[in-house]
Amino acid sequence: MIELENVSFSYDGQEHDGLHDINLKIADGECVLFCGRSGCGKTTITRLVNGLIPQFYQGEFHGRVLVDGQEISNLPMYQIAAKVGSVFQNPRTQFFNVDTDSEIAFGIENEARPPRELAERVEQTTEDLHIRKLRSRNIFELSGGEKQKIAFASVYAMNPKIYLLDEPSSNLDMTSIQELKEHLRLIKSQGKTILIAEHRLYYLMELADRIVYLEKGKIKRVYTPEEFRRLPENEREYMGLRAVDLTEVLPPQKCLPVSAPILELQDVTLRYKKRTILHHIALSAAKGEVIGVVGHNGAGKTTFSRALCGLHKDCDGQFLWDGRPMDRKARLKKSYMVMQDVNYELFADSVEAECSFGIRNPDQKLVVETLEELGLASYRERHPNTLSGGQKQRVAVAVSMICGKNLLVFDEPTSGLDFDSMAQVAGLIRRLSDMGKVIFIVTHDFEFVCRTCSRVLHFDEGEMPDDVPVVMDALPKLRELFSVKVNVSEGDREGGLGHSDGRRGNL
Amino acid sequence: MSGERQKKGLWLDPRAKLFLILICVLASMFAPSLAYQFALVVLIAILGIFFGKWKYVIKAVCFYAVICVLTVWIMAEMTGTLRTMFIAFLGLFHKVYACGMLAGIVLSTTKVNEFLSAMNRVHAPKKLVIPLAVMLRYIPTIQEDWRYIKDAMRMRDVSPSLGGFLSHPGMTVECIYVPLMMTASKAADELSIASVTRGIENPNPRTCLVQIKCGIADWMIMAVAVAFLIFELCVRGGVIG
Amino acid sequence: MSNQTNSLSKGLTVKDLVTTGIFTALVFVFVLIGGIFFAPNPVLTFFMPAGSGLLAGPVFLLMIAKVQKRWSLSIMGVVICIIWFVTGMHWAFALGYLIMAVVADFVAGAGQYKSKKLNSLAYILFSLGGTGSYIVFFADPNGWAQTMLGNGTEQSYIDTMQATANTGILIAMFAAAIITSAISAFVGCKMLKKQFEKAGITA
Repeated sequence: MIELENVSFSYDGQEHDGLHDINLKIADGECVLFCGRSGCGKTTITRLVNGLIPQFYQGEFHGRVLVDGQEISNLPMYQIAAKVGSVFQNPRTQFFNVDTDSEIAFGIENEARPPRELAERVEQTTEDLHIRKLRSRNIFELSGGEKQKIAFASVYAMNPKIYLLDEPSSNLDMTSIQELKEHLRLIKSQGKTILIAEHRLYYLMELADRIVYLEKGKIKRVYTPEEFRRLPENEREYMGLRAVDLTEVLPPQKCLPVSAPILELQDVTLRYKKRTILHHIALSAAKGEVIGVVGHNGAGKTTFSRALCGLHKDCDGQFLWDGRPMDRKARLKKSYMVMQDVNYELFADSVEAECSFGIRNPDQKLVVETLEELGLASYRERHPNTLSGGQKQRVAVAVSMICGKNLLVFDEPTSGLDFDSMAQVAGLIRRLSDMGKVIFIVTHDFEFVCRTCSRVLHFDEGEMPDDVPVVMDALPKLRELFSVKVNVSEGDREGGLGHSDGRRGNL
Repeated sequence: MSGERQKKGLWLDPRAKLFLILICVLASMFAPSLAYQFALVVLIAILGIFFGKWKYVIKAVCFYAVICVLTVWIMAEMTGTLRTMFIAFLGLFHKVYACGMLAGIVLSTTKVNEFLSAMNRVHAPKKLVIPLAVMLRYIPTIQEDWRYIKDAMRMRDVSPSLGGFLSHPGMTVECIYVPLMMTASKAADELSIASVTRGIENPNPRTCLVQIKCGIADWMIMAVAVAFLIFELCVRGGVIG
Repeated sequence: MSNQTNSLSKGLTVKDLVTTGIFTALVFVFVLIGGIFFAPNPVLTFFMPAGSGLLAGPVFLLMIAKVQKRWSLSIMGVVICIIWFVTGMHWAFALGYLIMAVVADFVAGAGQYKSKKLNSLAYILFSLGGTGSYIVFFADPNGWAQTMLGNGTEQSYIDTMQATANTGILIAMFAAAIITSAISAFVGCKMLKKQFEKAGITA
């Protein structure tokens, strides 16, 4: 049982993300989903329950948080850890070891369990979570989804009563989200209490017992999944929430007329460390086209985008721009990649300086105009690192506009964004497309693709088997690419039959 | 330290390996002459063969043989300041070579978790083990970060090379340090949260999944190493005394 | 158990230890990269400490600014010493870094880890740790060369070693190391002010 009594909290020196007068009781075995806009305080609630507030994050704190009748702020962190397990957003910074086995055992090693028990627990965890193929691996060779699975496994091995997940799906692809869902189903069937703060809602609809909607640090309303599903689309979007049911997300009826191609790829073959990643890719794109790129991990999406930008050396074939071949240097001049972790491409000490960084004679007027256009004018003096994720992304886009880049590649631009920010990025991309830029977007986000892309490229096994327009006619194919499963009957929705039985028993 | 599990050859306790390195340092320090130094390298080579590292061993020994011949030649032929210079350099080289060669074998056959387990077994305090573990885990991350940063620099028309550094020192310095240290500081926060919420502050001593044991092979190899060191010391003492 | 203040006020917290670990990794990598061009070159080998000192300054200073507690630098010294030792470096090189890191800790501590001047001095001192193996050489050139020369100590070698030219090298080595690390510390201070304090990531 978790009880929050009259809880208020505000972070030191920070206005948003605080909480005001929260009262909430969560029974054992319940699964509660917290949602709302970025900064609404949903992450803060999870931090109250796992003790990071007040022990790690300082601020003003009132009220009481009780877990099984014990006040959290009076318990040392390691005792809380035995009760409450936490999984976080970024899989890259959650692991402590270099190999997966030690990482799974990390929590139980800290609990100082005897070595034989450690081995048994790790074995049991491997069985339960079906992660045999991830055992004894170097963590640095794993994909984001696999890393997240190891992070979950490490918490699972500790066997806590309560699981807290803070935007666990942010960096995951569709398949990994599906697997995360199966893991959640498993712990729910074990009677664990689950608290999830999340932007992506669709995969949790069958699991959540209650949905808490927060706004500006207050609980606005508590929904049951049925009530929540019945929310009309415009109301949901007004609340700043992402799609609840992906089968209701549809591409536009028809796509815009395409002008003559400006970018052409002829017989492009890419190799990485002497291994062929993609071969014989032929492709053409017109000005203003927005092209989604999908594929499994390791299908060559990253290599493809790096080659497109002239960052990857080992490639054959021709890249033509306006009929003229472009070598690597020329592509580098013409293109810009907005990375998933945009922190790597921000170097300067203010937004304004960032925009003219590295340009010999920066056009100050253009800088000011661009910042104005992207809604960054009021942040000119701020250090880029103090901005939110979405704002940093816009700074990077501003840089690309000022440098006059015509070919843009976005790598997972919507990871961890709420509906508002996602819509904002979509608007931004539409504007860039209106300017006549050619845009590629590597993404797993079906909702986002339907809003922005005119077509989707699919990479698999070293080839490009599909080049699908994003229109209603191609809906079945699109759904297949993004593993959106249409519900045939209520019980058989995703996953196997065995799982759905367990789920019904719990609802 | 490679992630590959040992498939063939010998397995040694990391503590024994640390002990071997220590003896190796001492043996290099007290080696009475080049011949003994060479003998030491050959001994390490034999150890390397036990570990199944044929290629590495052959290359290392051949290279060392060449350097030894070169040393003898320099000692015989050269004079003056240049000679002094070479004596200083080669002196360091000979003292370090055997240790470096052994270290190469040790690092490629020890997994990070075995090493940390050894640190636990010798009751190293947590205040040391945590930073050490984090450091070993973070070095590959720096490599990953560097790849992204290089890409980002190229797209901004800043060349991530020595030439680029010389033509725009200020800018290049910012491009390298700023993202690297921003991500490092973010990683420090997130990693400490991830470890605190998994109970790292528990005052009880940690246990370890990987169990290391000191076996007969360990004792035998350590005995050989000690014997070699004593032999060297005797030779040295005998001649000097 | 007492309340949370115990994790804040005294001693190194887990966060401090993790920060120390991460920044130690960066310092180590920069020291390695800086020195690697010099080490395998007979003529330039004496300038290895200078090369090693050139790059790590900003990292070192940011670490002090983030932790601001005693023993963090010393722990860094121990960790780096262990790594040098395990990678087969000369023992005096490893030991040099350990000793100078502890010295640096106390120097920076004298200013409560807040004085930029003392922190910079601490970095310069830390960088001198790399001279360890060369000091051993200059202290006992005979012992150094014994392995190579067998037992016949040569008068000519002793003579050249005692000639002023070699004291010159010793001085040059120290001077170069101090200059490069001072430059590095200077750049570090500037960056700290321009970037990291503004970005709000110092403690």
